[in-house]
Parts: sequence; C-alpha cells; structure tokens
Amino acid sequence: MLPLITGGSLSAILTSVLRPPEARPDSRVETGYPAGLSAANGYGVVDTRRPVLVLNDVTKTYPNGRDALKDVDLVVPEGDFVFLVGASGAGKSTLMKLLIRDELPTRGTVTLDGDDVARLPRRKVPMVRRKIGIVFQDFKLLPRKSVRENIAFALEVTGTPRRKIRPAVDRALALVGLTRQAEQYPNQLSGGEQQRTAIARALVHDPRIVIADEPTGNLDPLISWEILQLLLRINELGVTVLMATHDADIVTALRKRVVALEEGRIIRDEVGGGYHRAG
Amino acid sequence: MLSFLFFSISRAWQGFWRNAAMSLAATATMTLMLLLLAGFWIIQAGFLASLSYVEDKVGVVADLNDGITTGELQNLETRLSALPEVKSVEYTSKEQALANYRAQRAAQDQDDLTQYLANNPLPASLDVKLQRPEDYKAVAEFLQLEPKVAKVQNIQDTTDRLVSITTFLRTFGVVLLAVIGAIVLFIVINTIRLAVLGRAEEIEVMRLVGASDAFIRWPFVFEGALVGLFGAAVTLGVLVGAADPLSHFMVGFFQILPISVGSISRDVTMLVVGAGTGLGVAGAWVSVRTYLIR
Repeated sequence: MLPLITGGSLSAILTSVLRPPEARPDSRVETGYPAGLSAANGYGVVDTRRPVLVLNDVTKTYPNGRDALKDVDLVVPEGDFVFLVGASGAGKSTLMKLLIRDELPTRGTVTLDGDDVARLPRRKVPMVRRKIGIVFQDFKLLPRKSVRENIAFALEVTGTPRRKIRPAVDRALALVGLTRQAEQYPNQLSGGEQQRTAIARALVHDPRIVIADEPTGNLDPLISWEILQLLLRINELGVTVLMATHDADIVTALRKRVVALEEGRIIRDEVGGGYHRAG
Repeated sequence: MLSFLFFSISRAWQGFWRNAAMSLAATATMTLMLLLLAGFWIIQAGFLASLSYVEDKVGVVADLNDGITTGELQNLETRLSALPEVKSVEYTSKEQALANYRAQRAAQDQDDLTQYLANNPLPASLDVKLQRPEDYKAVAEFLQLEPKVAKVQNIQDTTDRLVSITTFLRTFGVVLLAVIGAIVLFIVINTIRLAVLGRAEEIEVMRLVGASDAFIRWPFVFEGALVGLFGAAVTLGVLVGAADPLSHFMVGFFQILPISVGSISRDVTMLVVGAGTGLGVAGAWVSVRTYLIR
C-alpha cells in the first residue's frame, strides 16, 4: 500500500514516475459543451469531464495599477494535473490567490466547483477553501506542533468533531508515508518530510483540488521527485492538482498539461508540453 | 455551540502557554497598566472625597430673633427641610451658642468675657447644610425673607470661589483619568497586537485550510481575556499587599474624609477586573480582525 520511494536509484524513481500517459482516463468526446470553454481547456477538443475550476476572462488589477492577470481563460476538468509555469511576477501567485478568494478578480469570474467565488457570501468562503488543499514552497508548518498536530490542526480549526480527526489524520499520515514520524516536530524532519507533512495537511479534509505553489522549490532534485510522485498518486486518487513550478526538468519529463503565463496572460496551454515552448 | 466554546477556550489556554514568553510579556504590560489605572482611580477617589469634605462645610447660618416661639421655630424648620436644596437643618439655642463660645474661648486659653455680661448676647441660630454649595444663594434668599430671621451670615463670595475651584479640580481629575485611560488603552492594545502578530503564521494557516472567522477570532479573544484576567489577578495581589502599609500611613486621612475603604476596594476590584478583561478582549478583537476574510 506504500509504493513511496524510501531509497533506490534515480532511474528506478524515474521509471516509476514516468508512467505511460494511457494511465490517465482521458475520454475526449464531442459533446454539447459551450464553445468558449472547450477552447480554453488546453486539450483543443471538447472534454466531458466536469470542470472543477473555470476562469472566465479574468483580469486582476492591483490598487497600484499593475495588471497581474489579463484576460485569462482557463478550464480545469476534474482529475486533471496542470503545471503552471512562468517567470516570477508572471501572475502565478495572483492566480492562486484568486482561487482561494484571497483576492477578488477586477473583471471576469472565477468558478470553483460550481461556485462563483466573488459572489460567495463571506461566511461561505471557508467552505470553498475546504475544497482546496494548499501546499507551499516554505511548507508553512507550525514549529510548536508535532507532525500529527500540524495535520490535525486543519481539521480542528474547521470544527471537525474530535472522534473523526484521529482516523482522518492517520489516513493522511499513511498516504504520505509519515506514520512513524507522527510525533516528531518539524525541525526534526528533513525538507522532504516537512513537505510531505504539508501535503498531508492539505489532504486531510479530502479536497477536490490540491494547489501546490512551487512545492519543490526548496528541495533537492531527488526529494523533488519524491514529492512529485506523491502528488501524482494523489491525482490518481481523483484529486485535481494544480502545481506552479520553475522546475523545467520535472515539467518536461512528465508531459502533463502545461499552462504558461507571461506578464499576466496565458501564452501557452498544451497537454504533454515541456517547460519551454516546443520547437 | 458548547463544543465550539470548549474548543476556543482550550485553544486559548494552549496558545497562551505555548507562546509563554510573549503571553507573559503581555501580561506584565497589562499588570503595569492596570496598576497605573487603579492607582489613579484611588487617588481620584480620595481627591473627590476631599472636595466633598470641604464643600460640606458650606452652609447657611441664620441668626434668629430672640422672641421666636417654639411653634414658629418648628414651622420654619419644617419649611426649610422641605426645600430641595437643603440637606439638613440644625438648631442652636441661645444657651447652646453661649456654651459653644465659652468652650471655644477656654480651648484657646483666653478669658471668658461673657461672664461680665448681665444676659446672653448670642442669638439662637439655624445651621442649614446644603445639598450642593452652589445652592447657597437660593437658601440664603429664602431665609432673608423670613420675619423671624434677624440676619443671614453672608459668605457668598467665599462660596463662589470655593465652587469655582472645586469645579475646576473635579474637571481636571476627570480629564487626567481619561488621559491615563487612553494611554492604558493604546499601550495594552498595541501589546496584544504584537502578540497576535507573532502568531501571524498560525492565523494564515487557519485561513488557508478554511477556518471560519469565528474559529480564528474567538480563541484569540479568549486568550486576550486570559491575559486581562491574569494581569488583573496580579494587580489585585499587589494592591492587597500594598494596602496594609499604605493605610497605616494614611489612616488619619481616611478618618477625616467621608469615604469608605470598603466601597473603594469594591470599585477598584471591579475596575481592575473589568478593564483587564475588556482591554484584553478588545485588543485581541481588533488585532485579529486584520486577518479575517476581506
């Protein structure tokens, strides 16, 4: 039940990660999908999978007048795995902030699992955030809490009954392979273990989407692949994954859907693309 | 609801002790500020009592005609007592006035000149105590119109001056207390803001995992209340410890003044506990608000 890498050569890791693309249940059939959406989903053809995330003509202008995002259209179907690439300042972070309603779009709509996040009443915002699990480059673990407490924290503060917390935390620990480290504190863990703790915390309330903001940015290549494999496994379990990254090797090797941002615009959206524009 | 309350309070308790250095620093600041507040409150109470004591000395003394009958006297006393400005009326007979005069002379070691007089030259009088010294004029005028009143001692000027001084001092005391209160408010709120700022990461994680505003806010509010209550407890401890030597020192002062130590200590206890809890809660409330959903 734990095919996680605990040792072994890099080539073994790579072969286990680079599974052939037919493992993905992509069923692309022509249906009566709105034309505007099909053009923006990166597959070039109409997709029957339910869109879990839709950005429709989104522009975000900050109070200082800078356009962080311009006319962005993006449809992410349920179960998709999307790499978000682009230089610093290209708008990746703004896009992620819009998804969790940390910022509101200046124009256009952001729809998450059927909810227009801008029109959501305040008290429903937390419910939408619980559909998203977020993973950061700097982990954002609480240093005075153990691994188990860090993961349980996400459930405690959302009002989950106590008797449900322990089994859910145990499941998340098992999924990321940290059962043995459960009682340790973040500063006793390696970087990879810390990031796995953060992923377990992001997963513990069964989100529909995992958003990872440069999750491998602070990790060495071997550990980065370990984290990637974990995210791929989570994706196989049906969770949509949106990962912002600078790591060209990973993006190019995995041949997943790649959305490239430049100066706030989507300049490329292709399935099976590399980090850089092909050709 | 009950489990939410339990959650918030246990999180507050945990938060207080897991960040002990910051919490204790906030509690120390809270204690100092409450001591300042309580100290000024006590001084203010003594000050106001002193003013009342002085003002109580203001009264209207009316000398009566020698021929006044008991009936007329009772009638006058009844009508005087019915006036809203009047607190009490005290009658001094001619004999009593003479006895008082003689006692006063004897106390000053001077000869009693009245023993050479054939009859008692001193008038009987009514000593009218006032509700407020400002009422002096109204009562004096009332008495002047009475046929059986020979003379009303005029201390109008003195009274006016006294009233203007006490009014000024009262206002000054209130302003001073308000300024101290504002200083305490800002310092305590800023201290708690710093403590909350130190936990920004924790709050951010709560926000990101989808904690509702109430789940973010209330543990901090209870923690603020905890800081306030601990601060109040230490402050009261210090005050109780200081009360004994202080009251020895000030025993004479308190004996003269129309002031009850019981009511002061009750007021100060309520002030310290109320201000401590209130400031802690308010400080946490405004500090956390920055982090809630926009």
